[in-house]
Amino acid sequence: MNDLTAFTWMILLPLLAAPVIYLSGRLTKEQAGVARWVALLALVLTWIPFALAASDLSADGPQTYTLGQVALRLDDLGLLLAALSLGLGTLVVLYSGPYMAAESGQEKYYATLVANIGVVIGLGCATDLFNLWVWFEALAVSTYLLVAFYHEQPTSLEAGIKYLVQSAVGSALVLLGIALVLGQTGTLNLVEIREAAGADSAILLAAGALFTIGFGVKVALVPMHTWLPDAHSQAPSGISAMLSGVVIEAGLIALLRALSALARVEASWGELLMAFGAINMLVGNLMALRQTQVKRLLAYSSLSHIGYMLLGLGIALYSKELAGAQGSLFHMLNHGLMKGLAFLAAGGLLYALHTSMGDHSPLTIGDLAGAAQRYPLAALGLSIAVLGLGGLPPLAGFMSKWQIFVAGFETREGWIEALVVFAALNSVLSLGYYAPLVNAVYRQKPSEAVQKGQPMPALMNVPVVLLAVAVVAVGVWPALLRWLTGPAGEALLAAFGF
Amino acid sequence: MTTSEIVLVGVLALLGAGLYGLLITRNLIKVVIALQILVKGGLLALVAAGEASGQTNLGQSLAMTVIVADTVVAVVGLALAIQARRLLGTLDLKALSNLRG
Amino acid sequence: MTDWLIVLTIGIPWLGALAVWLTGDARPQLQHRLAVIFAVAAGAAAVALLPSTSSEVALRIEVGSIFGDFTFVPDGLGVFLAVVASVVGSLAVIFSVDYMHGEAQLGRYYTLVLLFIGAMVGLVLSGSMLLLFIFWEITALCSYALISFYNDDPKAVAGGIKALVITQFGGLGMLVGALIAYSYLGDYQISTFLAEADTLPSDVLAVMAFGFLAAAAAKSAQVPFHTWLPGAMEAPTPVSALIHAATMVNAGVYLLARFYPAFEGVSGWTTAVILVGMVSALLAAFMAIYANDLKRALAYSTISQLGYMVYAVGTGAIFASQFHLLSHAVFKALLFLAAGAVIHTVGTRDMRQMGGLGKQLPFVRNVFIIGALALAGLPFVNGFWSKELVLEYGYKHGPLWAYVGMLIGAGLTALYTVRMVWMVFFGRSQKRGHLHDAGPAMRVALGVLAVGTLTSWLLIGGFGEMLEENLPFHHLHVESMATLLEEVVTAPATYLALGVVAVGLLLWAWRDPLAMISAGLWPLGEAATHDFGFEWLNARIVAGTRAAAGALRTTQTGWLNWNVAGIIGGLLIVLVFLALGA
Repeated sequence: MNDLTAFTWMILLPLLAAPVIYLSGRLTKEQAGVARWVALLALVLTWIPFALAASDLSADGPQTYTLGQVALRLDDLGLLLAALSLGLGTLVVLYSGPYMAAESGQEKYYATLVANIGVVIGLGCATDLFNLWVWFEALAVSTYLLVAFYHEQPTSLEAGIKYLVQSAVGSALVLLGIALVLGQTGTLNLVEIREAAGADSAILLAAGALFTIGFGVKVALVPMHTWLPDAHSQAPSGISAMLSGVVIEAGLIALLRALSALARVEASWGELLMAFGAINMLVGNLMALRQTQVKRLLAYSSLSHIGYMLLGLGIALYSKELAGAQGSLFHMLNHGLMKGLAFLAAGGLLYALHTSMGDHSPLTIGDLAGAAQRYPLAALGLSIAVLGLGGLPPLAGFMSKWQIFVAGFETREGWIEALVVFAALNSVLSLGYYAPLVNAVYRQKPSEAVQKGQPMPALMNVPVVLLAVAVVAVGVWPALLRWLTGPAGEALLAAFGF
Repeated sequence: MTTSEIVLVGVLALLGAGLYGLLITRNLIKVVIALQILVKGGLLALVAAGEASGQTNLGQSLAMTVIVADTVVAVVGLALAIQARRLLGTLDLKALSNLRG
Repeated sequence: MTDWLIVLTIGIPWLGALAVWLTGDARPQLQHRLAVIFAVAAGAAAVALLPSTSSEVALRIEVGSIFGDFTFVPDGLGVFLAVVASVVGSLAVIFSVDYMHGEAQLGRYYTLVLLFIGAMVGLVLSGSMLLLFIFWEITALCSYALISFYNDDPKAVAGGIKALVITQFGGLGMLVGALIAYSYLGDYQISTFLAEADTLPSDVLAVMAFGFLAAAAAKSAQVPFHTWLPGAMEAPTPVSALIHAATMVNAGVYLLARFYPAFEGVSGWTTAVILVGMVSALLAAFMAIYANDLKRALAYSTISQLGYMVYAVGTGAIFASQFHLLSHAVFKALLFLAAGAVIHTVGTRDMRQMGGLGKQLPFVRNVFIIGALALAGLPFVNGFWSKELVLEYGYKHGPLWAYVGMLIGAGLTALYTVRMVWMVFFGRSQKRGHLHDAGPAMRVALGVLAVGTLTSWLLIGGFGEMLEENLPFHHLHVESMATLLEEVVTAPATYLALGVVAVGLLLWAWRDPLAMISAGLWPLGEAATHDFGFEWLNARIVAGTRAAAGALRTTQTGWLNWNVAGIIGGLLIVLVFLALGA
């Protein structure tokens, strides 16, 4: 089947739109914001092939598109990643309109952002290791540019450089892993590798380790996480939302795809992921506990949420437990919603209190005091987001954590059950830093920053409200996202040949 | 030494040199150079792996792609380095270690 | 019909929450009015549920996948607590009209109170453990947000977060229990679990039983998780009355009572329950004797009275425990609201600065004394009947050591109650200007609760029947009203208890001649004012966690070389891990 199918358009549209956005911005006045509208249009149009691809997928199963030696295949896992990327991406572009209105270089911003979205979708469709690496590299490059967007700010520059170097080390390690696999099996196709791989191959074991670390840099596994708090807090807030909600998750999908090729190798992949999960949760929470900068705090909280996803995935790989895979992917979507909401709401406050006045100092918890009086929607959005992240019902985060926990107990293994209790304990610990944010915004006495703050543009509230409604809706009715997470979980297990 | 052994030593030497450089240097340009060395190790391994598994063409075409991707990364890295020099007046990593805790 | 009533009882307050929130703080009069209307309507809906109690599922929502069915069961136990929650809830809201008059951010206040009322009703009517847990957590969320309602006060913020973290920590026990039940039975339904609990391996069932005990202890502020409740007194007083005296804190006792049939056979469980109840009752009573903050003294007394209920469940006296829960909800709400009226007018919570208020606030004094009589267990108000039932059953069916402990507790209760009444309303009068007695809305709420305190024991017969009829797993056999009352009046245990109460009262009356002895007890006073070391333990845990977090932060050095070293280190660790694991 070599016609361009719906899903290839879903990848191509954003990628082709990127240069158009750049040129349209370049050829018009910056203040007119043409680039931003073209970007929004491109993403809105991309939803059409998305819808077609989704219905094709549910009707006919995964389809493959081959170009030369490269084959792309959209399965349900890829669809989930596409939905996450496109969904959050569209809202971020909408949000960035007012947020970035005063910045120069907007055409680059929007072009890179839209390309980034397309790349994430493409990454989800890779069928061979090298193709996966290429998408991964493209994702990294587009992200460097976005992280260091405020290149006149020393801290943003620092964050961008660290991110670039650490990612580049990671991708070199992945490359080495690919070489080992190629040398051992003579193929790069994920399925063929899985068929060809011997059960006890030290070389493939080493390749697995290299993949885990190489992709793990991007996923922010502890101790490779050190770039994340810098990058996520220094990027423009819309980008912070994308980084936390989509990019690290894309890294996780890449890691899973790579490991799926090594599924037959006799190794404790499940235990490995669970171990990283536990460490990530604890380190992320403890690091966040005493942060005073809101965005840095949220960045560390992403570490712990990756931990929950890893726990669920580890359980899935360890015991072939479908609920683990589904719960973990459900948490991935929910984390995108909640962390996206948190960063956009906090970013809105950052904009109103600091950035809009040309002040690039970070948003501190002290600044938040009394924010609810002047910025009620942003304050409520931030509260809903962090309480959801803390796992309180009836918000989305509770439901997906619960699904992961159920999977853990279904194994009936004492140590996994202990790990689940540890994870739940970490949720309690996380309230120690989430709750003070809520207390701060609802204070009576406004901070100096709030008193002097600018009004928040109404358009920035739109994505905040939409995401807040989604976080509550999914929390009340978890079945809302099952059309995505259910088949995606099955696709994940299928990729591992279970 | 056979060819494959020489290649193996080469790969390890490049990787070692790259990582060692990244661990000790405080100069941003040297960091980019160390990264280049590191990736070259991976590149060599890829070509050798293609050779070893009888897929010489595949290995070489992959290598070409890696070179392109790697160059892009190097360009972005150097651009950031130039910006750092312009903004901070130095290429010392000490000036780029303010985000802590 | 029943399903609709359930939807209404939960939905009305939630709709009210939305309505008050949408009204906005610019129109406080409308907010007060809407809150009262919705709260009273919810109370009416709950009362309307009373005739149609049954042990069958009345409302089933299929969520599917691993979330199972969300079910609501309007059985006697659940409906009774739903009525308590929404009726006391509506009285607290009525009281708030005066109490919160002129306060800022009223919208947030009423929204959270109404949200709480709905969630509390949901909690007690849930037929699914997952749904129960969800409502359990929502009540904790509302409790936290209301404790720290005055967010500008660091003490209120700390109190709220402490309450949230401690109840969540205990809640882990319930989380584990629900997960175990699901993984073994494939179902979250409480009825399924109660029917098939004996098919679970005994050690697994034991984990569940003790997990639920931990959850209950945390929610009902029992030792060693009780420390959050005194801190919760930073909340506006109607909230203290509603959430931290009459409703949410009972959820733990409810949980134990609900699951008692499944856990009574677990070895050591009933003893542990009795022990938790007794230790809480005694320690908290001592703390109440030494407390000078009126609300804190009431909070300790709540812990102590909840201890009686937990003890009662441990001895198998499900009916007595729930009956005492009813009495306590009514009289403690009365005491808290009356205390609120006092605090509102005097402007302090310190009892040492009160004294002699009785003449100036006669109405409040009278209702407070009615509540105090019930708390002390004097005839013939509601607290008397229920406490005597608890003690009588404990004497007959529980261990003797525990019975003796609870008897001593009854004496201590009388002592701290009379001390409290004396310090606030009698004794030496402070110089102060003219004070306003309670406002009209306050009087309505206080009056209803005072009448309730005097008469709620008359419901004993109907209440017993209701529990007996539709709790199929509990095999309760409750006597008729006449028999029960006669039993209480004729039992020797009653007179023994009354004697001990009299001793408690006399200790206060003779406090001057006994000053020598009480001075000799200073170590006890020291320990009681320092919460018997539990506060210290709390503070150590918090400080330890913070120190660990601080130490860990030094690993984020900001140096790129160090970060790369992290990658290399990670690679080595993973290689070793995989090499060892393979």
